[in-house]
Amino acid sequence: MTLIPQSILPASIHGRMLLISALATLVALAVAGLAILGVLQGFVTRGLDQRLDAELSLLATAVRPDGAIDKPRLAQVRAALAGEPGWRWRIASPGGVVSSADFPEVEDGPLLPPPPPLVPAADRAPPPPVGGPLEGPRAHAPQPGEGYDADGRRVHMRSVSLPSTAGPVTLTAAAPWAMVQKPVRGALLPLLAILAILGAVLGGAALVQLRLGLRPLRRLRADVAAVRDGRAQTVAEDQPEELRPLATELNALLQDNARTLATARASAANLAHALKTPVAALALELRDDPPRAALIDRLYGTIRHHLARARNAVTERRAAAPLAETIADLLGTVAQLHADRALVFDDTAQANVTVAIERSDLEELLGNLLDNAARHAASRVAIATTAQDGTVRITVSDDGPGIPVADRLRATAPGVRLDERGDGDGFGLAIVRDLAELNGGRLLLDEAPGGGLAATVELPRAGGAS
Amino acid sequence: MRILLIEDDPDLGPAIAKALRAENCAVDLVADGIDAQHLGDTERYDAAVLDLGLPGHDGIAILRAWREGARGLPVLILTARDGWSDKVAGFKAGADDFMTKPFRIEELMMRLRALVRRASGHAAARITCGPLVFDSQTGQFELEGLPLKLTALEWRVLSTLMLSKETVIARLDLLERVYEGDAEVDSNSLEVIIGRLRKKIGADLIETVRGRGYRVTAATPAASE
Repeated sequence: MTLIPQSILPASIHGRMLLISALATLVALAVAGLAILGVLQGFVTRGLDQRLDAELSLLATAVRPDGAIDKPRLAQVRAALAGEPGWRWRIASPGGVVSSADFPEVEDGPLLPPPPPLVPAADRAPPPPVGGPLEGPRAHAPQPGEGYDADGRRVHMRSVSLPSTAGPVTLTAAAPWAMVQKPVRGALLPLLAILAILGAVLGGAALVQLRLGLRPLRRLRADVAAVRDGRAQTVAEDQPEELRPLATELNALLQDNARTLATARASAANLAHALKTPVAALALELRDDPPRAALIDRLYGTIRHHLARARNAVTERRAAAPLAETIADLLGTVAQLHADRALVFDDTAQANVTVAIERSDLEELLGNLLDNAARHAASRVAIATTAQDGTVRITVSDDGPGIPVADRLRATAPGVRLDERGDGDGFGLAIVRDLAELNGGRLLLDEAPGGGLAATVELPRAGGAS
Repeated sequence: MRILLIEDDPDLGPAIAKALRAENCAVDLVADGIDAQHLGDTERYDAAVLDLGLPGHDGIAILRAWREGARGLPVLILTARDGWSDKVAGFKAGADDFMTKPFRIEELMMRLRALVRRASGHAAARITCGPLVFDSQTGQFELEGLPLKLTALEWRVLSTLMLSKETVIARLDLLERVYEGDAEVDSNSLEVIIGRLRKKIGADLIETVRGRGYRVTAATPAASE
């Protein structure tokens, strides 16, 4: 069931609730306004009816019990009734009709009450005294009626039927509808003003309520963003009652995720370990048999490639790694690995930069780049970093022979081994590219100023960089 | 060159040991972490090859214990764990080199020789003493430009002396570097080996320092006596 079609419903909860509360307020105010006007009109009409009923009582004194009109009395009554313009009366007796000068046409016949049933003559009472002719057994309650005068103005009427020996005599008194309309119109302006103020107050309250009510949601979203950026491990659970289960569920989900990830990583590592040791033994066994040894090499290459991919696939995507510290650790490691060659490592990494990548992934990525550079460098490996607009650029350059332009693209394709000199396995740059892309970055290969290779990795900076 | 080989794989361990022995090394193979740590603490080795994934006792823990006990023996980690985090952790724990499985035995041998050479303070691969040249990278000896053929025991004694040339090596130290842990050692055998070496390279190059041990020296015997 849709109360409001989807197409015009605003997309935000804020907008929806605001729209609903605005519509509800408008409807409530309209109903209240109409009701107040109705009650007011009822009051005024009742006052008018009382005056008209008094006139009817007066007119009744001019009707004799036999239905004839008491002329002298009528003259008195007429004088009393001649007052404000638009007030009119009529006496319709079986003997004829007497009325004030401009009695309006009664447009709607049925508005007048049907003639009352004839009452037996024995029951007839003497004419009622002035002020009370409409009471007593022969009287009927006056009935309301509406009509229009010659100018088309609306007229409010009261009429009553008096039984007489000659037949029913109908007395009618009329007053202009303006008597009701004027005070109601006069009340309309202040009423609208009050309703407008009320509407403004209600609207403001709805706005404040929405703001306050939705604030925990905004905070929760910020919490989730922090988890995604690696600035936090869990979302805060001190939420309002309605959001607390959501926060708890979110944390449970995060925990599940982390557990699954850890299991997947552990299995990848176990698989790697389980495969590599027998392959190593086999390779040693077959080292005097070059064709078979080559097969082992291929086997190992394939294992390594797919294990690296499997490990990459379960990489943690909301993490932060300290850049300078990671680079310092890696430089120590790479220097040791190439201890036999007196390489100079030039580290100008920026301090206090964190990268949105898991530390082991960053180590894998930069370790491969640095090792690659060290293997090809003549004497020098340089690593430099810049951080700008949420992107961290890490450039590793060497003074080796470099890679020709045509081969640079190919160099990042899996399994392509350009390196025929060193002991590289050809997967280094492909792994770097995979890891960079997996973490929302990329790998760029360029020529270093001295002619060597300059490999640049672009990675997103972690949100919580201080 | 005596190597402590710590490898728990029942196929790979003996295969590596065999290959290293073929390169004239004395090899003590252990599969158990606790034995390995004890041997490293008490015996004299030129280098250790350490597997990380040992049952019960982690390789990194063994290495850390050695380093905390100020044991400076060169350690090469040989492991199936090929992540850079493992490499960083290994070097931080005090490793001197790191190789991942599978590997080429030639590279392992080369790296071990380089480790031993660096540990004895030589920057260059070729060590010269008079007419005798030891290429610590290939493990080859040359005498007056010609290759020198040596038995495994002779090679171990002469390479140890050459790496510490002009320095007296105690008899016991030399014995410990030459024989595998479980070998039956005849107390006279070292003298026998020295005698054979002197026949091959000339008596003057190896000097007996009475009561202390031996040294190779390019100085003339007249000056030293």
